[in-house]
Amino acid sequence: MRLPLPILLTLLILLTGSSPAGAQVPSIRAGAWLRVDFRARVQGDVRASQAPSADHTDQEDGRLDVARRRVGIEGRAARVFDYQVEYELGARQWRDVYLDYRQFKALQLRAGTFKLPFGLDENTSATSLDFIYRSRISSRLAPGRDRGVSAHGKLLRDRLNYEAGMFRNDGDNARPSNSARVFGGRTGAARVTVRPFRGAGTAAASLHLGAAVACSNVPLGFSAVRARTVFGASFFDSDVWIKGRRVRTGLEARWSSRRVSVQSEYIRLTDERRGQSVEDGDLSPLLAHGWYASATYAVSAKRSRYGAIELASRFETLSFGSTATAGDPSSSVRADRVLGNSDRVMTYGASWQLNRWVKVQANLIREQMEEPSMGPLPERPAFWSRALRVQFAI
Amino acid sequence: MVMMMMMMIPILLVALLAMPAAAGAQTPDAVFANDTLQEIRLSIHSQDLRELRERYAEDVYFPADVQWRGTRVSNVGVRVRGLATRSAVKPGLRIDFDRYVEGQALFGLRSLVLDNVLRDPSLIRERTSMAFIGRMGQPAPRESFGRLYINDVYEGLYVFVEAIDTDFLARTLGDGSGYLFEHKFAGGFYGEYLGDDYEPYKLRFAAHTHRLESDTMLYLPLRDLFYEVNQDVDGVWRDRVSRYIDLPQVVTHVAIETFLAEIDGFLGTAGMANFYLYRPDNVGLHRLLAWDRDTTFQEVDSAIFARVQDNALFRRALAFGDLRALYLDTLAECARVAAADRWLETEIVRAHLLIRDAVYEDAAKPVSNEEYERAIASLVSFARQRPAIVLEAVAAAR
Repeated sequence: MRLPLPILLTLLILLTGSSPAGAQVPSIRAGAWLRVDFRARVQGDVRASQAPSADHTDQEDGRLDVARRRVGIEGRAARVFDYQVEYELGARQWRDVYLDYRQFKALQLRAGTFKLPFGLDENTSATSLDFIYRSRISSRLAPGRDRGVSAHGKLLRDRLNYEAGMFRNDGDNARPSNSARVFGGRTGAARVTVRPFRGAGTAAASLHLGAAVACSNVPLGFSAVRARTVFGASFFDSDVWIKGRRVRTGLEARWSSRRVSVQSEYIRLTDERRGQSVEDGDLSPLLAHGWYASATYAVSAKRSRYGAIELASRFETLSFGSTATAGDPSSSVRADRVLGNSDRVMTYGASWQLNRWVKVQANLIREQMEEPSMGPLPERPAFWSRALRVQFAI
Repeated sequence: MVMMMMMMIPILLVALLAMPAAAGAQTPDAVFANDTLQEIRLSIHSQDLRELRERYAEDVYFPADVQWRGTRVSNVGVRVRGLATRSAVKPGLRIDFDRYVEGQALFGLRSLVLDNVLRDPSLIRERTSMAFIGRMGQPAPRESFGRLYINDVYEGLYVFVEAIDTDFLARTLGDGSGYLFEHKFAGGFYGEYLGDDYEPYKLRFAAHTHRLESDTMLYLPLRDLFYEVNQDVDGVWRDRVSRYIDLPQVVTHVAIETFLAEIDGFLGTAGMANFYLYRPDNVGLHRLLAWDRDTTFQEVDSAIFARVQDNALFRRALAFGDLRALYLDTLAECARVAAADRWLETEIVRAHLLIRDAVYEDAAKPVSNEEYERAIASLVSFARQRPAIVLEAVAAAR
């Protein structure tokens, strides 16, 4: 759905301007036994790029696209259950739908459809992101949502968080709709994060470190994990036979002070290729990996009269290939050393949180292809894109 | 002791002389050497091999590794090739060494054709004909006989053929930068004018070089060629046609085909077939390059003007006295070259002795061993009789 930008902005300003500053989320409460909070989120994007996007329509385009229209409820029931139900109106898809049994802090149980415990950026709420788009590794390599059960909790005076679960598949990031490509089956995933200096009262108190792993088996086929630019154009076609174990590993770190925050993450995904060589032997695993480092600076205080303004920048890479290093790289579907490609992305961003409901973000993005011939602009290794997002959320 | 040393000296000398020869063997010439039976081993994933045989009618590439003697080339592209000879049982194959790895080659060869020669019960027509064409001074692909193994299973005797590509053009004509077209069979085409639209020409002449250029750049000279060919033969016909094609070269090409009693060539029974056209640049003259000669050595007494009247270009060309004389001279020269020291007969017998065991073991060939022997005998007979028959016909035609 596309709306003219001035109309949407006017609507948002009228809505927010008429809202009392202290207004709360619409909610229904039945004593301490039931709480139902109503949630809604609308995001409108204007974006343009020197390169074609996934649908080849956004090259130097500038129209508004309503990216998300989500409604949902969340709350607590019978003191020990948390729940969330979220529905995407545009795609007509259920998003998070789960029940969380939270009687014990050290051991809580969750069941339903929710994000696999993997990745810092991927598990950050869309309303809290420092940039319009999640990092490439989070969008492409982290699993995303799936149906499953997990146990999670906090230990050592909240210094250690853990979550481990079993899921039907390996997440919707690796399972695009209308695709004949293969994805992981039953998936085990676990994530551990620590805040070693929590409560220390020093600058190190906010330091957060974490690691995660997810394992599944992939049937014979071409991988559904695809190499895509920020706007969705392909830069490596992933037409390589895979079969066997899929392993994701991730490392994460975050630190913040009153005005500054830094965050970094590394994700590696390998797919075995059992019996896929020309002699029906094993090939080296297909490899997708990348990392990012980002930093933000709060220009103004959060409760200032004009809202909070934050500047941010992020550098990231996303690479596809294989673990083999011997021999000539080849585009064959059965090559041991796969001719891969990588995307290096620099993003400059600014966020303006007008109030608790409205947020405006602008990003300027530069992408550079290692092998431009596989990218969206074969004759040009680097290109710029820009995006503006207006978000309204309750 | 002294005697031993005296004996060792010539042995060492021979060894030293042989060393550079061995190093020099790593060239395309070694793959096409005809003093030994070659051998190529392909490794193809079992699933791909199954699919290759199931989809043998399509030009689908599959990855493979190639081994020739001690040299292995990985990640090459292999597909089934051919028109009438397409087969799932004994597939004719094309290997493109650089399909998946940029610049990859086998001793400089970027492509290699493995011809299953299914239409030839003797299996030696193709290789012998090309050797003869080369002996007549015309560009011809290098060829050799070889066993093909796929996943260590013997697939049969094949003819390994040098692909007609820019490397071939550079080797034979000194320059491969021009426009190369492969004639594709699309119904009987006898050189008639196909109209102003480029499509009928694109259908019959597949561009192998300069593919990204416009249709006008590629096909305008071809369209104009056939337009001029089909005008009345008058005082300007030859000048106009000679702006587009090398008529003496065409006459020479066809004369050799005629001597070899080819039925599926430029004057083929079903129209023009089995040749490439090469134009050195956008204003240069087209010339013919021979391809696929496994239907030669047919009727030993076939007429020297057989099917000449069917072809729009050749019929008109032979109306000129000097071109007709060139045609007859070339036929006579073919007869002399074939008969000199019984060259053609010797070639046939030599090839037969080289491949006989491999042919007998070839369970995929469409003929019995007895039929193979009879075909060889027929070729030997052809080689003995054809020169005299042609010389007699040429004398009668003068």
